[in-house]
Amino acid sequence: MIMIKHLSIAALTIVLSAPVFAEKEFEDHTSMMDHGDGHLMDMTGAMVMGQNTDVLPGGCSSLAATKEITVHAGHKYAEKFPGRMYAFDVQEYQFEPCTKLTVNFVNDDNVRHQWMMHGLPKYLYPKGMFHLEVTGPGKVTGTLIFPPGDKTYLVHCDIAQHMEKGMKGQLKIGKGDGDLPSIPGVTAYVIQDDYSDKNPDESLSDAVVEELTEMKDKVIGNDSFFSGLTIIGLAIGLIFAPLLARKFKGMSAGEVFVYLVGLVKQSVDITVKVISWLINLVKKK
Amino acid sequence: MQKNPLGLLLGAAVMLMPFAASAVVSLPKTVEVDSGEVEAPCNENNPEWRVAQTVDGVDMQESLRCSPDNPYAIAAEVKGTNNISMQTLMNTYYAADGIIKKNDMDGDGDPDLIIIKLEVAELNGHSPDFKGLVPTFDIAPGVQPGMWVFAPKSRGMATNSFVGVDANPLLRAPSPVIRVEQGDTIWIQLENTHYFPHTIHLHGIDHPWVDSSGEGNDGVPQTSDKFVLPGQSKTYEIRPRVPGSFVYHCHVQTHVHLAMGLVGMFVVEENRPNNWVQTFNVGAGQVRHPSKAILEDYDSEYDLHYHAMDKELHSIIQESNDPRLIAKKMNREYDMTDSTEDYHTLNGRSFPYTLRESIIVAEPDKNIKLRMFNSTGETLAMHTHGHKGTITHYDGVEHNPVAQITRDVYDIAPAQRNDLKINTTDDGFHSYGEGVWIFHDHREKGITTNGMNPGGNVSALVYKKYLNEVGLPKTIGESIAPLFTKKFHDRKLPVWQNIDDWNSLGEIDAEGYVAPPASKMAAPDVTPGSADIQAPTDNSFRNLIFGLFLGLLAYTLVVNRVKVIAFISSLKGGK
Repeated sequence: MIMIKHLSIAALTIVLSAPVFAEKEFEDHTSMMDHGDGHLMDMTGAMVMGQNTDVLPGGCSSLAATKEITVHAGHKYAEKFPGRMYAFDVQEYQFEPCTKLTVNFVNDDNVRHQWMMHGLPKYLYPKGMFHLEVTGPGKVTGTLIFPPGDKTYLVHCDIAQHMEKGMKGQLKIGKGDGDLPSIPGVTAYVIQDDYSDKNPDESLSDAVVEELTEMKDKVIGNDSFFSGLTIIGLAIGLIFAPLLARKFKGMSAGEVFVYLVGLVKQSVDITVKVISWLINLVKKK
Repeated sequence: MQKNPLGLLLGAAVMLMPFAASAVVSLPKTVEVDSGEVEAPCNENNPEWRVAQTVDGVDMQESLRCSPDNPYAIAAEVKGTNNISMQTLMNTYYAADGIIKKNDMDGDGDPDLIIIKLEVAELNGHSPDFKGLVPTFDIAPGVQPGMWVFAPKSRGMATNSFVGVDANPLLRAPSPVIRVEQGDTIWIQLENTHYFPHTIHLHGIDHPWVDSSGEGNDGVPQTSDKFVLPGQSKTYEIRPRVPGSFVYHCHVQTHVHLAMGLVGMFVVEENRPNNWVQTFNVGAGQVRHPSKAILEDYDSEYDLHYHAMDKELHSIIQESNDPRLIAKKMNREYDMTDSTEDYHTLNGRSFPYTLRESIIVAEPDKNIKLRMFNSTGETLAMHTHGHKGTITHYDGVEHNPVAQITRDVYDIAPAQRNDLKINTTDDGFHSYGEGVWIFHDHREKGITTNGMNPGGNVSALVYKKYLNEVGLPKTIGESIAPLFTKKFHDRKLPVWQNIDDWNSLGEIDAEGYVAPPASKMAAPDVTPGSADIQAPTDNSFRNLIFGLFLGLLAYTLVVNRVKVIAFISSLKGGK
């Protein structure tokens, strides 16, 4: 038992002391397995899809040119585009129709990135796609031949949110057919972010509590003796008190009461008169 | 010109009286709401995936549910992407270097060095180009909260196809269950494909605080680890000596990152010879290739990961594109102490989608192992219909067998794991017999989706004879078809539409409806106790008079102040 324990500790020591976590070295993925249909792959995650080195697309009588580019991808290329997180080193490319292009795709990050093109003729490119993928730091190389005609192709990384956060470019064949949106440094977003400071001083829940209190007051009524009307009453009382005091000076409590009743009766009489006058007015018509 | 328009109007009104009279006393009419498109309850059925089979030498149990796990993916998860045929790998979404297994150091027939790669994926995220979300993952029809998950390293596109925007099958909630063997050397390589920093903390799992190179291995940015920045990777190394049900999660801004979905189950299986364990259980649920030790005591095994989401938090990533804005809104403006959980999920989905992939399939006289994990913010009260389960382990640690508790509600604190043994012996105690027995959270909000029932984390333990040909329970209750519509989750369908011949609880059509004048009360209400109910009162007049009284009183006091002072003095003097 002790023996096993010591052995396992030894094994652990050996395993864990190996320098496996040293900075991963740059890997040039040059020997990939061909799976047919232009699909190449190796066991360390590099991939080419839609490779076409020799078939001329319909409408091309010959290759217009043979070009080679190196595209870099990584977090650091987003530095010049504030508010982005990933980018290619170049956002726009232009080539003549029927050009044979070799792309050296270099990933400078330590995660996967892709250089993916859509919309190519499907008879030549499975799913109409040319695709390079490699986990960095590393390089993968692929070749394709562009069809004839002016067209703008989207090139992007399809890993969740990489295109949205900046890893997007456009490749124009001939004159292209317009610009794509949201290309860093080239075109604006279709849906813009709202940078206005909408954060209210009070939190949402405070506002809700206030609103609820208000609603509750409206429904159940304010039961306090002291409200705005109390203050108004107080003011009226203070103003009229001297007048009333003069009026009632020398009267007994009973006399004051009789006087008040008389006032009320008079006001009722006036109201009744006004109403009957109004009714007569309608009747006459 | 008509001379007497008023008379004409009155005449017309009199003539219309009979019609008006009926409108005066009736209430608005009932209408039926069109439920719109109804999804097939089982939409993607791969019958050939459901049977027990062997792929690349990997045996896997049958999986009779509607959406079974892909057998080729299971082969990759058991043998590693480096030990399967290219054809098998091509039938999965795994990257070629997604799971590497090698070095049988103790010569017991299974690999002892396991290299697991994890990426970070955003689901239902924002696009600056169109008004939709990418890539989508519905927790229920049309319900798409923004989420982050750890995902196995995949290859190719994030979406399932070129035409749609739905996420590929490896990009889904919850973060995948990771399964390893006790004593193996495990390297977990986090490749941060996201736009925020993240780490991995190995909760409950035996791990050294620093790795072999002296770097932090505990994932806590404040004490023991650096951020793993966007585009960077980091390897965590462990050799767990103790088996059990554990957890891994991001420890950066944990309160929101965990809630966003960066949390998963981590199971360490007991060491046995020739024990190839299924490294990932994507989407949790049934383990189709259980470990040797589990099969000694159980017939089948299920991982049940419960999660909950606050829609205010989960919509932040859908409203902005700029990562700086998202960081500010999520970490400076959003206040979790004011939050409420709106979506309650089991294995990444809510009812009725749970029926597709998170049912437990049972047969009589069997033992089923359930590993329940709570990554919500509150304690769950899980309840099993028709069965009393025995809690064998808390947080991966076996409970003293003689003291183990058998019950039908299992309280699970946040981050806690309960291992349950479900015994399907029909003895009136462990099981009440065969049927379609649901199991769910008994905090009632847990069975809602955004406050609407049925929804939430409900699923069912279904006996085989109650499963139909596509793997859905043969139910004998009300139709569940309305639940498979976006209309329902849009709150547009009435709760009890068409429950009888004349739709007595249907939708009200009040358009153009004008309420008649209320009838006069015939007699005062003398119902006993009615006096206790106080009608709302308007106190304005009372308060005015009260104020007037106070004013007069004050004046009187001022005018007679000499007398009052004298009176008070006399009181003092009288002492």
